[in-house]
Amino acid sequence: MSFFDDLFRRKPASAQIAKERLLTVLVHDRVKLTPEDLAELKRELAVLIQRYIPSVNPDDIEVSLLREDTSDRLKADVPLRRALD
Amino acid sequence: MARVITITSGKGGVGKTTTTANLGTALAMHGSRVATIDADIGLRNLDVVMGLENRIVYDLVDVVEGRARLRQALIKDKRLPELYLLPAAQTRDKDAVTAADMINLTNEMRSEFDFILIDCPAGIETGFRNAIAGADEVLIVTTPEVSAVRDADRVVGLVEAAEKGPARLIINRLNQRLVSRGEMLSMDEVVEILAVDPLGVVPEDELIVSTTNRGEAAVFNPSSYAGRAYINIARRLNGENIPIMELTEQTNLMDRLFGGLFGRRART
Ligand SMILES: Nc1ncnc2c1ncn2[C@@H]1O[C@H](COP(=O)(O)OP(=O)(O)OP(=O)(O)O)[C@@H](O)[C@H]1O
Ligand SMILES: [Mg+2]
Repeated sequence: MSFFDDLFRRKPASAQIAKERLLTVLVHDRVKLTPEDLAELKRELAVLIQRYIPSVNPDDIEVSLLREDTSDRLKADVPLRRALD
Repeated sequence: MARVITITSGKGGVGKTTTTANLGTALAMHGSRVATIDADIGLRNLDVVMGLENRIVYDLVDVVEGRARLRQALIKDKRLPELYLLPAAQTRDKDAVTAADMINLTNEMRSEFDFILIDCPAGIETGFRNAIAGADEVLIVTTPEVSAVRDADRVVGLVEAAEKGPARLIINRLNQRLVSRGEMLSMDEVVEILAVDPLGVVPEDELIVSTTNRGEAAVFNPSSYAGRAYINIARRLNGENIPIMELTEQTNLMDRLFGGLFGRRART
């Protein structure tokens, strides 16, 4: 990333930022999950997944609430490592 | 038989009372029999916005508690013979009325009017619940700001849970100049975020200040953009199919420059 990229990259307009922030905050509002609830959900999910796929690293699992197109989603992303044995 | 429509928002100060007064007036101008009810008990405002504050004798709580008949409490508008206001009590609090009272009251009024518009207090507590209790339809007013949109989303859910949905959206105080610079959420963006059908968009309009100062609805003022937006919303409420257009900066400017010569074109 060059100096000029930085210089000329336009700051995103504030409406775009407002929209992204709102979409995120509303998904959380709507399911009534606190960030702590979400972290707990992730811990329990990791335990469950590891029972079936022991090679999964719990730190790699990502659980997030987000809006995609027109629907709110709870998304879990579980990268699988190639078995070494 | 009247349609009972509650105008609510969640967040305060976004334009519920302004919207109730202007839609009520616009509907009455088009020949409907209209009653507006101020359900903001303790914070009476619809009377001053409609310019009827000097005529109040009885209020909503007097009717509910049997001290006055509905007929005695309803205030006739100064200009429009088919427009009435039922004012809120100023010296009581929200607990003076129950949801059942509001259902009985609106039912008693239904046969006399085509539209009953209820101006809801801010918030999502008792006052809000009372104001939607008798409603057939709910309109949610929001401005294109994060806090107002967030609160509107909360209300959308509560209206649905109360089986009064689907609510429809009025986006107020839109500043098209800011929207075209990307510094304000557009109508489409607000609609996308909330996933609620829009009924209309009302531009930010300085004339709202002066018309409110005078206690006259903006819909009486042909040069008020907000007034014209409210007329279009009233016509949509009446079932007319009028497309919702955001004012573009172009039409806005052209309109200001040539509006007097070629007739006003911007439409909302
Ligand atoms: N389209 C507009 N353009 C300019 N000013 C506006 C517009 N709509 C409303 N306002 C102003 O915003 C202020 C708040 O409006 P209003 O009283 O209608 O809001 P409200 O939602 O009823 O408030 P509350 O929650 O306190 O009852 C008023 O000063 C009003 O004149
Ligand atoms: Mg108000």
